[in-house]
Amino acid sequence: MNDMTDNDEKLGKRAKALFDTSVDELDGATLSRLNRSRRRAIAELGRPGTAWMRWVPAAGMATAMLVAVMMIVPDPGQQEQAVPTSVTDMEILLGDEEFEMLEELEFYSWMDLAEDNGDVT
Amino acid sequence: MRVESTVFTISWAGDQARGTRALQQERELNRFLADVERRALRIAEIAVRDRDEALDLVQDAMIRLARNYGRRNSDEWAPLFYRILQNGIRDWHRRQAVRRRVLVWFGRGQGNEDDFDAVAAAPDPNGRAPDEVLENREAMRDLEAALRVLPARQREAFMLRTFECLDVAGTAIAMGCSEGSVKTHYSRAVHALRGQLEAHGPDLVRPTE
Repeated sequence: MNDMTDNDEKLGKRAKALFDTSVDELDGATLSRLNRSRRRAIAELGRPGTAWMRWVPAAGMATAMLVAVMMIVPDPGQQEQAVPTSVTDMEILLGDEEFEMLEELEFYSWMDLAEDNGDVT
Repeated sequence: MRVESTVFTISWAGDQARGTRALQQERELNRFLADVERRALRIAEIAVRDRDEALDLVQDAMIRLARNYGRRNSDEWAPLFYRILQNGIRDWHRRQAVRRRVLVWFGRGQGNEDDFDAVAAAPDPNGRAPDEVLENREAMRDLEAALRVLPARQREAFMLRTFECLDVAGTAIAMGCSEGSVKTHYSRAVHALRGQLEAHGPDLVRPTE
């Protein structure tokens, strides 16, 4: 990529000269602000690395959300007990066969007792 | 007692050496930043078209350089500084794009694209002939306008190579790309600028000698 012509080089030199002129013409107020900025930057030189500190707010937020989730969502152990019970209830309530069994529950109970006692032959 | 005294002396000598080294680093960094800050400001200003925003970007780049790379070898500072600055400029453009979208959504996005007035913002002349000052400013304004039309990567390559005189390797570090890409971007930028500035007028393309 070394196809730069003399005219391209002259363009570069002219552009650089114009740019340098515009730099030399910066006003006092701007130079003063740059000076203050530089001093602030130099003051940062002695400070220990603070890159990790940018994660502090995010970590705090994540912890707060975790605590909130733990308080809102119930304990999984409790969930395991609750779910089968409610599912069984629903099956019993919705299934026709179970209704018939419930209606004759007293009969089956009597039959079990009778078998244990040897009354049924 | 003698042992304690020896330990104290060694410790004190170590502290003094560290203090001297820190002071030297401060001076080196101060010298580097003082050398680079004005050109960096103009480069940022050309990219974002706003001096206050450019000043903020340069200050941010200075602080990040001092904080994160201040202990590095001073030879590495220039490309690292410009990499931080270019990243800041890119982030600024992204934020502006989002801001414009939001303002357009709320129906307040029109009108302030061309508020920046280079003539009004230009400083007073410093002892040069008024004609020369005026001619230079007009040529610089044309150059800035042509630079703004370039794709961002071409503009970065041209400004870092031409204005800041970084070599190809330093420009590659500053731009976060390969040296081959730098050469390509730079070459395309020069050719595009020639075309645009010839269309604008011969003032800038014509050498002054």
